[in-house]
Amino acid sequence: MNRAVILRGILGAVLLIGAWEFSVRFFALPQWILPPPSGILATAWSGRAALLPAAAMTAYEALSGYAIGAVLGVGLAMLLALAAPLRAVLLPMVVAVNSIPVAAYAPLALLWFGTGALSKIIMVAFIVGFTVFLNALDGLTRVDPAAIALLRSFGAGRLRLLWTLRLPAALPSIATGLRISTVRAMIVTLVTEMLGSQLGLGWTIFQAVLLIDFLQVWAAILVASIISLLFFGVVSAIERRVVFWR
Amino acid sequence: MLRAALPILLLFALWEAAVVGLAIDPFYLPSIRVVAAAMQAQSGFYLDAYLVTLAEAALGFAMGGLVGVASALLFTRLPMVKDMVLPIFIVSQTVPVIAFGAIVVLWFGNTLMAKAAIAFYLTFFPVTINTLAGIAAVDARQVALLRSFGAGQGAVMRKLLLPAALPRIFTALRLSASLALAGAIVGEWFGATRGVGAMLLAAMFNEQIVSLWASILVAAAVGGTLFAAVALAERAMVFWREEL
Repeated sequence: MNRAVILRGILGAVLLIGAWEFSVRFFALPQWILPPPSGILATAWSGRAALLPAAAMTAYEALSGYAIGAVLGVGLAMLLALAAPLRAVLLPMVVAVNSIPVAAYAPLALLWFGTGALSKIIMVAFIVGFTVFLNALDGLTRVDPAAIALLRSFGAGRLRLLWTLRLPAALPSIATGLRISTVRAMIVTLVTEMLGSQLGLGWTIFQAVLLIDFLQVWAAILVASIISLLFFGVVSAIERRVVFWR
Repeated sequence: MLRAALPILLLFALWEAAVVGLAIDPFYLPSIRVVAAAMQAQSGFYLDAYLVTLAEAALGFAMGGLVGVASALLFTRLPMVKDMVLPIFIVSQTVPVIAFGAIVVLWFGNTLMAKAAIAFYLTFFPVTINTLAGIAAVDARQVALLRSFGAGQGAVMRKLLLPAALPRIFTALRLSASLALAGAIVGEWFGATRGVGAMLLAAMFNEQIVSLWASILVAAAVGGTLFAAVALAERAMVFWREEL
């Protein structure tokens, strides 16, 4: 990416926020349509005592679920990469289950695991696990057959193949899965929190909607977006380090 | 058709076998026969939810697909605009979009449009990105060839760039189908009385596990319908792909 492109991107963002602030003031838009950026920032700052614990809870749930799901997803993909017959049976079923949106079974998690952090962590682990699993399996099984034949001819067994060839070859797609999962982990946390919880940004948003407190909704979205962006940025940076050859 | 139905039937068989074989507490997983009987007993009710949610998701999905392709074409014609707007698009996607569901419902009220708007927002971005990637992958020499025969920018777009990007566009559409459905369902959580999302909430609050599972199956049916529609359109429009 060159400097001109980056500058244009910054220019675009500045223009957007400027136009937003200006049109809210100029057309005197009521708050329920669109509050000004300055008003959202002010609300987030003055309400920080309540927003920070909620943000910490949401981040805790999203990160723990993410870590569990990532480990399970890669582990399961490695297992299935070793067992081709099992893969042929399981994969279509996994894809079928995965096509049902999270929102449909989030209520189930709440009934089973209560309104505490556990139900959110399990939901996030489930979704992240699915995403990472599908990406990792795709990478692990899409290895050049000639390379496999070569290693085989030197007497490499299945495990050896997995470790020295498949895993490094799959790293880019595993990393892609992990990167996409960051945003999904945040979304799933917020959605599950909206259904019922004691603390968290999703719950803050849901309560604020019921109380018709628009500035509070926007402030909570702002905080959630910052967490989401940071999470995404950190994982992308790690990805660029680990998958340096890409 | 049979290939699509097989994993689902297998899943149902596993479900029933697990419930009977492992004697699972019906609070966690009721037998699929019980769920099916409940759906049959209130078939009108479930059919209504299916149709309402399908209409919301499909409307938003169709709009998102059209606007996604259109904005990608616009970006291709005006790279300056692309550089200014695309980073905002990307950042806007790391925002937990579903949280905006609340605000959209505030804007539109509890209408079909509110849910369709959320589905739209979730659909259009993947379509834009994939269309752009598909257009970018077109061989520059092919463009040059068409230009040398006197084709204008519009003709190059219609005859080369758009058809070349179609496989990518359909990949994005398949991905977005379940996103659009998720958007419609979450949109229904903010006070709707009809639709799958409303049913899910009611079942959860009343702790009716059977109707909760039935609602999940209805959601899967809506998702399957959208998915099948995309697959049919893909087969009709990307007919040359079978050669691959």
